[in-house]
Amino acid sequence: MSQPSAAELARRQRVIGRASAAVLMIFAMVYGYFGLTIEYSFSSDPIGPRGFPAGLAVTLFLLGGWYWLQPGASEDMPERAGIVAAATFLAVSLASVLAMDWIGFVPAMTILMSAIARLFGASWPLSLVNGVGQALTWWLLFGPLLGGTLPKGPLGF
Amino acid sequence: MSFDFLWQGMNVALLPQNLLIGLIGCFLGTIIGCLPAIGPINGIALLLPIAYTSGLAPESTLILLASIYYGAEYGGRISSILLNVPGDAGAVMTALDGYPMARKGEATKALAISGISSFIGGMLAVVAMTFLAVPLSWLAIKFGPAEYFVLMVFAFATLGSMVGHQPVKTLLGCVLGLMLTTIGLDATSGAYRFTFDQPELHDGIEFIILVIGLFSISEVLLMLESQVKGALKPLVVSGAYPSWSEIRFIWWPSVRATVVGFVIGVLPGTGASVASAVSYTTEKRISDKNGTFGHGDMRGLAAPEAANNAAATGAFVPMLTLGVPGSGTTAVMLGALMLYNIQPGPQLFVEQPKLVGGLIASMYIGNILLLIMNLPMVQLFARMLLLPNWVLIPGITALSILGVYSAFASVMSVVIMFGIGIVGYLLRKLGFDMAPIILGFVLGKVMEVNMRNALAISGGEFSIFFSSTLSLVLWVLAALVVCLPWWLRRRQARLAG
Repeated sequence: MSQPSAAELARRQRVIGRASAAVLMIFAMVYGYFGLTIEYSFSSDPIGPRGFPAGLAVTLFLLGGWYWLQPGASEDMPERAGIVAAATFLAVSLASVLAMDWIGFVPAMTILMSAIARLFGASWPLSLVNGVGQALTWWLLFGPLLGGTLPKGPLGF
Repeated sequence: MSFDFLWQGMNVALLPQNLLIGLIGCFLGTIIGCLPAIGPINGIALLLPIAYTSGLAPESTLILLASIYYGAEYGGRISSILLNVPGDAGAVMTALDGYPMARKGEATKALAISGISSFIGGMLAVVAMTFLAVPLSWLAIKFGPAEYFVLMVFAFATLGSMVGHQPVKTLLGCVLGLMLTTIGLDATSGAYRFTFDQPELHDGIEFIILVIGLFSISEVLLMLESQVKGALKPLVVSGAYPSWSEIRFIWWPSVRATVVGFVIGVLPGTGASVASAVSYTTEKRISDKNGTFGHGDMRGLAAPEAANNAAATGAFVPMLTLGVPGSGTTAVMLGALMLYNIQPGPQLFVEQPKLVGGLIASMYIGNILLLIMNLPMVQLFARMLLLPNWVLIPGITALSILGVYSAFASVMSVVIMFGIGIVGYLLRKLGFDMAPIILGFVLGKVMEVNMRNALAISGGEFSIFFSSTLSLVLWVLAALVVCLPWWLRRRQARLAG
């Protein structure tokens, strides 16, 4: 695949920058709306709990406008393979963390550590060894040694 | 405090039993410091009951707890430099230049420099505490809400140094950081802001969740992208220690940061995170002529490290002289004193000379012990980076999850950390720096609360922010920080032209 030209790269960066500026400006409006609807019955100061968020919303909106006008340089967004790898990492991480209370710390971390090792180029057997080894090491350190409370699960660890 | 006092303290601290206790405390503190979110508070809280029930004398208990405290301030930098996972709040700014140094193969040098600057900061701060503790306690009393607000204005003024070639991104980052501080219970009115009826958000976004998400998780995502592209190469680790000229190079930045860190540490409610953030931006303002800060500049590493340790020592001043803890950790230590029926305050120096003298003397010895203990170990720590990525990166992820989970015992906190990590990754791809976000977050809450408290006291009169000499001095300093570099640049251009 041919490399994009410098002009094409600059155009792409401008589009990405402007899209981000638009997202920030919309976020400023949403944040400002929720800021102005904060409910309170009493405030000992004249500004109240709405004042600071309102000021920040206006500032973010104005800065968003500046960013729209001058998007500046940014990195190119990741290619499809990069997005798939990142999505896999996040999905496995979240699934393992959410499952931790049900299946226990060591099994959940074994799955997570093995999956990440695999994503970073280890073979399946090495990934599994790494997963089990790290899960047990971290459990020993943060559980019995430092007295932390980690999810137990049916196996007790 | 006179030399007699210190001499009496040395006699206590140099007892073999207390030396051993100090050594154990320093070692445990260093280990506790490297583990994210365990932090000195938890370490002290964990060991306090053991020390109390084992019948240790009050001065020995205080020496143990204090040595854990500054040991943790040393240890916090290790994971920050090597893995971009800050061990505690004070080590966040350390990652900005320490981590790039490690990525360039200078992990040994970075760790050694942080150890040396920590030593400089810790030692100079103990000297300042020895001679200035009682007179300095007036400063803590003089700081009311208006003065705190102006101090935060000064801190934001130093942010000008962070403005690089894309100032809008720096300012946007700062505002985003400020916005994050508005989530949770508003302490002044009791209103819940941006919590959307989610109990997990009632206390707001915790600093450690934000930091680990922004730094560590986003870093893992960037590494993953490089791995997919085939651009992730194994790191080279040079075993070289800093040369004498490099140590001389970081001397003045460390001294300046010590002054900033110690003064901020003395002020209750600010702490090491504010101290290291302000000292970093101040040093960048003074020294960063070639835009090397943020890319592995030794001064950018030395300044927050020295400030961090100076602030940790400074926090003892209001605790011992006024009975007001300067940080969360000293609050736990205050509790320890009360366990022994010792009431801190101005009379403590007269009533308990052995205890106060012993504590201060143990800080001198502790800092020397930490340097001696840490310098030979840095090569060992640096070698951690030689592990293959498939071992190292799962380890970083595990440490991040455990850091947050063990601090809050909540799966939702870990989920929030991943969410922040994704946002951090996108912002970094867009060319945003993480430092302004952190600075906005660290300073935002203190700024808003004190501004509103000051206005509540004055009945809405804004003149309260200009009513004391201290406020006026801080306004002038803020104006100088903004205007002086601009004026100097203009003058230089005129002379050159």
